[in-house]
Amino acid sequence: MSPAANPIPPKPGLLTALKELPKNVWNSIFRNPLPSNDLEKSATSFTNFFLHIHPVKVHKHSLKPTYTLGLGLISFFLFVILILTGILLMFYYVPSTTQAYDRMLDLRGTVAFGMILRNMHRWSAHGMVAVVFLHLARVFFTGAYKKPREFNWVLGVVLFLLTLFMSFTGYLLPWDQLAFWAITVGTAIAGYAPVVGKDIQFLLMGGTSVGQEALLRFYVLHVAVLPAILTLGISIHFWRIRKDGGLSRPPEADATPALEFSAPAATMKVAGPESRKTYGLQGLVRGPITKAGQVPDNTVFSWPDLFRAELFTFVITLSAILILSLLFNAPLEEPVNILHPPNPAKAPWYFLGLQEMVSYSAFWGGIGIPTIFVVLLFITPYIDRAQTGVGKWFAKERLLANTIFLTFVLANIVFVIIGTFFRGPNWAFVMPW
Amino acid sequence: MAVNLKRSSGTGASTEQIQRRRMLGWLTGLGLFGSGILSAVSNFVFIKPRATYGQPQRFSIGKPDDFPPGTRATLGARSLCVVREGNKIAALSTTCTHLGCIVGVSDTGFACPCHGSRFDQDGTVTGGPAPRPLPWYKLTLAPNGELEVDKDIEITPGSYLSL
Ligand code: HEM
Ligand code: FES
Repeated sequence: MSPAANPIPPKPGLLTALKELPKNVWNSIFRNPLPSNDLEKSATSFTNFFLHIHPVKVHKHSLKPTYTLGLGLISFFLFVILILTGILLMFYYVPSTTQAYDRMLDLRGTVAFGMILRNMHRWSAHGMVAVVFLHLARVFFTGAYKKPREFNWVLGVVLFLLTLFMSFTGYLLPWDQLAFWAITVGTAIAGYAPVVGKDIQFLLMGGTSVGQEALLRFYVLHVAVLPAILTLGISIHFWRIRKDGGLSRPPEADATPALEFSAPAATMKVAGPESRKTYGLQGLVRGPITKAGQVPDNTVFSWPDLFRAELFTFVITLSAILILSLLFNAPLEEPVNILHPPNPAKAPWYFLGLQEMVSYSAFWGGIGIPTIFVVLLFITPYIDRAQTGVGKWFAKERLLANTIFLTFVLANIVFVIIGTFFRGPNWAFVMPW
Repeated sequence: MAVNLKRSSGTGASTEQIQRRRMLGWLTGLGLFGSGILSAVSNFVFIKPRATYGQPQRFSIGKPDDFPPGTRATLGARSLCVVREGNKIAALSTTCTHLGCIVGVSDTGFACPCHGSRFDQDGTVTGGPAPRPLPWYKLTLAPNGELEVDKDIEITPGSYLSL
């Protein structure tokens, strides 16, 4: 706008200022009106701090609930619930062997909302382990880890391991029988790792047995170190999704009259080193310089479609956790008795497969086989280089990879079931009926 | 596949200057990398406790008369089992050699509740995943007439202290 067209407005009086106060405050926070046209829709996405991590437009395929099942998003929301409830629990929790258990009883008995907060924290934690793993499985079965998403997959495996470590460290904090013996066994498994095992075990426990030092260490890891690393990791994970070109999708999803220049190599030449011409930032962006109106557009504005879907997922996730927390109380066993492990002493369900394997061989069950599985996960995108079968569930081309993955998963599930239902006192085989 | 832009040395620096610049770049990188490694290592040194706050490893368990012949008494807090046969006495660990649960005394010896390891009276493994027998600890009769256990010293299973 030229200055001429817009003369200095008259100084508004105090009364006007007061009258316009609510509107002005609102407008100073939200620069955009509720969007009614395309320009405003995109402006809304990038002038709002919380919305601007989203792309302005998303591919229609990415919005299909049957593709992602919303699992990544649910993992994230569970993480948010965990952080919020966790911070509240910290107001009452004391990481001391003489007080921790009493504080659990206080949460149950005297603290306002203590019970529901603890329940929410516990069920979200279980939920997050399950959902993060399901998300990993979804990414695997849809071949979404393939180029250019290799790194985000590797980062994802790290996030999965961190999630497990989070739940492992949190498990000790109530300082009840379950906690104490699960961690005694868990740290002892670490001790079987070759060369560094004993050192890791010593570092984790801060001594030779699970006691005050271990409790303090696990507390610090659980409330500070691991959440910080996880937050950083999730941020990079999200950033990479956009840098990797949004979510994976099958080639068909983009195929309507394919235009010549969609071959990136051809367009990249433009800014080659020999060229004397100078280019603006647009010229350096990969791909065609102007897409508008030239490529088939299979995208929709994030506002409102994506945001509506996200809000819906959030509400469903939170409701599910609330309902679970109202119906079921987080378990609390007897206070720690270092003389008598409960018999049988069982780990939480997601570690029961490990515990079952460990009952055959501590090294192979606790270290060997899990390490093989994790290493396989890490290198998968660098071994499986075929570009076919991306973006479809259980693509025929991926039969081999999917079968191998499924075998590991099913084996673990079988071990979890045996460990949960078929093991009685002294870990003897029993029939559950 | 990334776009290649020619790096221009805008000031028309001589080759010598460029080499020095490159050298300084390398040194800076090396310095940063070195400091990174150093601080990572110091962190590990820091979190590895120099002193532990647990129970002492060497302690007295009472007079021989507290354990009449035929005793097989577990001293829970010490995770020990004191065995006396006639005039021979010994102290076995009750910490399972598999993954550290406390074994219970059973009819045939010891049984572990965690993954089902079983041991005979001498602590030899008779079943389950435990890789090693239960350790026997050094037991001495101190001048004041008290029995003293040193959990830092393991002795050959079967070597009793004669009273
Ligand atoms: C803390 C745990 C995690 C969070 C919060 C998270 C979050 C997300 C979200 C919100 C998405 C968007 C699509 C969707 O919802 O499926 C996504 C995509 C993705 N995630 Fe995760 N994730 C986590 C762990 C993992 C794990 C364990 C893996 C695999 C090892 C992984 C690999 C990927 C990949 C490769 C994509 C891109 C998928 C595609 O392009 O189709 N993430 N993640
Ligand atoms: S700890 Fe005793 S059998 Fe595993």
